[in-house]
Amino acid sequence: MPVRIEITQKPELLDAEGEALRKKAFDYFGIQTQSIRTINILTIDAQLNADEIERARTEIFTNPVSQVSSLKPLPLEFDWTIWIGYRPGVRDNAGATAIEAMQDLFGAALSVDAAAYTSKRYCLKGTNLNRRKVEKIASELLANDIIQQWKIFSIRDWNTEQGIGFILPKVSLDHQPTVTTIGIDSDETLRQLSNERNLALNPKDIPVIRDYFLDKAVQKQRSLEGLVDPTDVELEYISQARSDHCNHNTFQGLFHYQDYCTGENRKIDNLFKTCIKEPTLELQKRKNWVISVLWDNAGVGRFDDDHYYVITGETHNSPSNMEAYGGAITGIVGIYRDPMGTGKGSRLIMGGYGFCAGMRDYQGDLKPRLHPKRLLDGVIEGVRDGGNKSGVPTPFGQVLFHPGYMGKCLVFVSALGLMPSRVKGEPSEQKNILAGDLVIMAGGRVGKDGIHGVTASSEIFSEHTPAGHVQIGDPYTQKKMQDFLLEARDQALIRFITDNGGGGLSSSVGESALFSNGCEIDLDKVPLKYEGLDQWEIWVSESQERMTIAIDPENREPFFQLAAKHAVECTIIGRYTDTGKLHIKYNGTTCAFVDLDLLTKGFAQWEFDAVWKSPEDRGLIEPVLLPVRECNKHLLDMLSRPNICSKNWIARQYDHEVQGTSVIKPLIGKDRDIASDAAVIRPVLESNRGLAFAQSLLPFYSQIDAYHMTTCTIDEAVRRLIAVGGDPGHIGGVDNFCWPNIQFDPVDNPDGKFKAAQLVRSCEALRDMCLAYEIPLLSGKDSMYVDGHLPGRYGEVHKISALETLQFSTTSVISDVKSCVTLDAKMPGDLVYILGATANELGGSEYYDMFGYIGCNVPQVKPSQFLTLYRALFKAINQDLIASAHGIYRGGLGVHLAQVAMAGGLGLSINLESVPVEGGDELREDKLLYSESAGRFIVTVDSNQRRSFEKHFDRMPMACIGQVTSTDRFTVNGLNSTTIIDLSVPELKNAWHGPFGDMV
Amino acid sequence: MKSINALVLSGYGLNCDYETSYAFELAGARAQRVHINELISGSVSLDDYHIMAFGGGFGWGDDHGAGVLQAVRMKNKIGSKLLSFVENGKLIIGICNGFQCLVNMGLLPAINGDYTERVVAITGNDCATYRNDWVNLTVNEDSPCVFTRGIRQLEVPVRHGEGKFYTDKETLNQLMKNQQIVLQYAMPDAKPANGAFPFNPNGSIVDIAGICDPSGRIFGLMPHPEAYNHWTNHPDWTMWKEKAKRGQTHFAKNGLTPGVQVFQNAVNYLKGKYKK
Repeated sequence: MPVRIEITQKPELLDAEGEALRKKAFDYFGIQTQSIRTINILTIDAQLNADEIERARTEIFTNPVSQVSSLKPLPLEFDWTIWIGYRPGVRDNAGATAIEAMQDLFGAALSVDAAAYTSKRYCLKGTNLNRRKVEKIASELLANDIIQQWKIFSIRDWNTEQGIGFILPKVSLDHQPTVTTIGIDSDETLRQLSNERNLALNPKDIPVIRDYFLDKAVQKQRSLEGLVDPTDVELEYISQARSDHCNHNTFQGLFHYQDYCTGENRKIDNLFKTCIKEPTLELQKRKNWVISVLWDNAGVGRFDDDHYYVITGETHNSPSNMEAYGGAITGIVGIYRDPMGTGKGSRLIMGGYGFCAGMRDYQGDLKPRLHPKRLLDGVIEGVRDGGNKSGVPTPFGQVLFHPGYMGKCLVFVSALGLMPSRVKGEPSEQKNILAGDLVIMAGGRVGKDGIHGVTASSEIFSEHTPAGHVQIGDPYTQKKMQDFLLEARDQALIRFITDNGGGGLSSSVGESALFSNGCEIDLDKVPLKYEGLDQWEIWVSESQERMTIAIDPENREPFFQLAAKHAVECTIIGRYTDTGKLHIKYNGTTCAFVDLDLLTKGFAQWEFDAVWKSPEDRGLIEPVLLPVRECNKHLLDMLSRPNICSKNWIARQYDHEVQGTSVIKPLIGKDRDIASDAAVIRPVLESNRGLAFAQSLLPFYSQIDAYHMTTCTIDEAVRRLIAVGGDPGHIGGVDNFCWPNIQFDPVDNPDGKFKAAQLVRSCEALRDMCLAYEIPLLSGKDSMYVDGHLPGRYGEVHKISALETLQFSTTSVISDVKSCVTLDAKMPGDLVYILGATANELGGSEYYDMFGYIGCNVPQVKPSQFLTLYRALFKAINQDLIASAHGIYRGGLGVHLAQVAMAGGLGLSINLESVPVEGGDELREDKLLYSESAGRFIVTVDSNQRRSFEKHFDRMPMACIGQVTSTDRFTVNGLNSTTIIDLSVPELKNAWHGPFGDMV
Repeated sequence: MKSINALVLSGYGLNCDYETSYAFELAGARAQRVHINELISGSVSLDDYHIMAFGGGFGWGDDHGAGVLQAVRMKNKIGSKLLSFVENGKLIIGICNGFQCLVNMGLLPAINGDYTERVVAITGNDCATYRNDWVNLTVNEDSPCVFTRGIRQLEVPVRHGEGKFYTDKETLNQLMKNQQIVLQYAMPDAKPANGAFPFNPNGSIVDIAGICDPSGRIFGLMPHPEAYNHWTNHPDWTMWKEKAKRGQTHFAKNGLTPGVQVFQNAVNYLKGKYKK
């Protein structure tokens, strides 16, 4: 008989969660409530006697000081009550730890089928409430029907004895695991089957797959294993491995590129090879700090003689778009497994994030599954819980709004790790597998979670996208596993390690088996969350928090002893071999027997038509716009724009100081409220060496030309590092592409050829910039289907595509963190300099966007010229010539001068007349203030250092444009020496904090 | 006794073990990260240590209340060993999640010497979310706490979602009477925060940020002194550097940080006790 414990805060204590919900209901929907109180519910389904239940209730689940609880419904007053619980099969982290705690309390294991489920009840009081309003709060603020179920009771239908009743979201699958063979009598049969089973096989792959299984020699070998036609396990394996997500078919595709105006035609065979791999290998030869790139879960660079750093980044867009919290927490916890599975394993030291969503205050007719406001809330919370509970600082991140992300949001997550350069004398970045090594699955168990996640993220979001691929990450289980794996690594117990992400065991075992050239897996050994999974489901399930490890059989005992100490479940699921075969059995019967090299040959390259039209050919023009005249008001409004203004509430929720390594924090300045250019940590506590990290997103420029979007994005990410003291001689890069579908279709994707051309141009810009700035690409990923279909007002459906987006991440090693600088103006009397020339480059700018224009003059990066300046600034910072440095990014000089003033809490007196202009032309005041030309910085300098500073930048575009003042006035003099802006620093701050300043 | 040995707990989702060990090492102790299960199995003995740190993190994911499940496990498995550790006059520091665990085990506040009863709670922040920010703390110089001797004010970061200190009036009066309230959130000018957010970041009653047991040898606090182990951890350090460059201040680039002094106080106390 299950029991249900209801627990709530004592009435005299503030119910912060209820209060926050009350405020949100009013802020988001105007729904007024008098009070909301929260009740936590734990439903225990286990064989416990009354005494045990009472002990569990009082000694574990109720805090005697702050809480009250009861096995009966708590008699809190309400007009309406909302109950919310998980759907069956959804990860209930707190339910799992409740079982652990009861076992500790009773000193004995509970039966295997014992379960505990957490849920919540909200008690709402309000005279104006009705079912419709309460339903809105439940469905649009609290619960998501993909993972949760809810019930609403008015006080009239409430039974004070029964309460919510007993709801046990237990998974019971009355299903006998079955291997199904698939007929391949024709391409059409296989195509149909691919559609029915959601395999997402590319039609061009189908003949190759059929040829393989129809091959006489193959058939003969298979018949010895009792197989004839392919099994579902085999086809699922091939489908996962061939998916765009795993195989990057788009980037490895053949592009027929045509320039529409010149008529020039060229073929680009494999963007990955020509624009990413070749430049990076070239740079690896020149840069001895590049340790390992292009093959492992993450790239590896040298931090110092004894340590390497590891970095990677990816996106988790599709799941987050459907269940923001679950998608985002799974994303950050998932990316953290990549450094854990790089080389022989690294310790996590830093995370980063980038969120792109529709406008937060969107009130139009389109109906996305989650309103951008709610979606962003969930994403922020997901990365918060995942990052914080992993014990990894998150000191850098960005948020960006654009209507194009209404179709699908972007959730970028990045992870950095650190490992010793050698493990018991062996290079830590290398790993190998020998035939005979044991295949071990460590961490969580396998359920129906995330099945077909990989193939779903390779498709455009539609109402048919299977919801089952949304999960909730479990950072607690993973943290235990990470502690265990680091100790196992240091004892040299790990031969090979990789994570289970997209494609589950199918990918992790399939890919690692290439190292020994074969494996033999017993699927029945894989520990399950519940019985009833088909073999193919076990094989491709994406249940989280799992790693696949190869160990020498001799290390079996110490490995498992260590796992027991850390309370981490590990299971031997098979053996690596050198037979060339992927051999999978279930209870001794073969259900897959495939040649591993099947995937390496014969498959047709994907092909794309790409047609480029210049901005002018597309009808883009510079707007005819006379300058603003109310410059004060205009600057304040610029500072209040969503893509400029303060988003401090996010950074404050993210632990950015755990591990004690923080050097440059996300929020800087006198009031610690201005976003830093970059983050710097000191990952080896005993050393003064630092690791700098920054990211950039500038998709707006893709509206003009993705080539320049890319060059500007990379330049900004580099400049951010230089601004804090990063070394231009050591810049590592990570590229994360998020692109709308580029496959042309006259009906569904009429501008596919243009988007394909944008991709080609972006990749070529990536190559050009990496070679010019000498940035090896340590890691990178792509997400190619950032489109969505949204219903509108009349039931019509609109396809919404995101801007072509590249997130670029950069790292640099700083030899002594004490040389670092921050952006805040430090002392009155200091001189303000601008480094770099300003040009008439407002195309795609925030200034134009404010008035609804795009324009044409997109900023141009001049790498060799810029690099000279960056090297000079690096030296100047190291010679202590600089008091503060700040890059000029989105919003231009005006916005970023304001940030320098706000951070210092000091006034600035600026003269625009002295600003160096590209080519020596004269530029209008508004253009000087809001052009987004790349390659520029604002620095402040002690006036006593004037001569040496100016000498240092001799012959570079540089000018003193004003002074830091002791007043709080922010003044800008225009070209006729008249004051065009005169505001106080508090006024600037008011505007800058205006939109989101109240949020915590 | 050759060295002062510090045991820093790890495992089950705890996460500040590296920097807490480092802070102890800077303070002159020999620190070791020890998994909770090593203590339970007995493969590591508490007898070999002079001070124990219950560090920050998310033990058991902080499910069912921060620090609750860690307390259940430790109390049930090694409760008596912990009590004799305390009886032997050794030191315990609980930071953030560790503080939450200590109050749930009853090791704090131990009014009247009862080291098993839960009489204070550390519950969800009034701001309803996790928060990472530096706070100003004032130190009660009349407190018996050995960790804060000679420190009058302290700036260190808080990083928690559940840091609101709460208890009934009677217990609060006892804590005040016994001078067990060690740290209080304050304004930058050291005046009491009086509950004002964000200076008091969580809504703790009487701005309480840290307490000790009546002996002063068990100390629990929500803020993280170990996160201020290097001068560049402080949010204002680039400003200090600039002032020092111009001869306006001395930027103590070497010397121990105020955060590490908390650990050094403990080590010095133990040296006095064990190294005679």
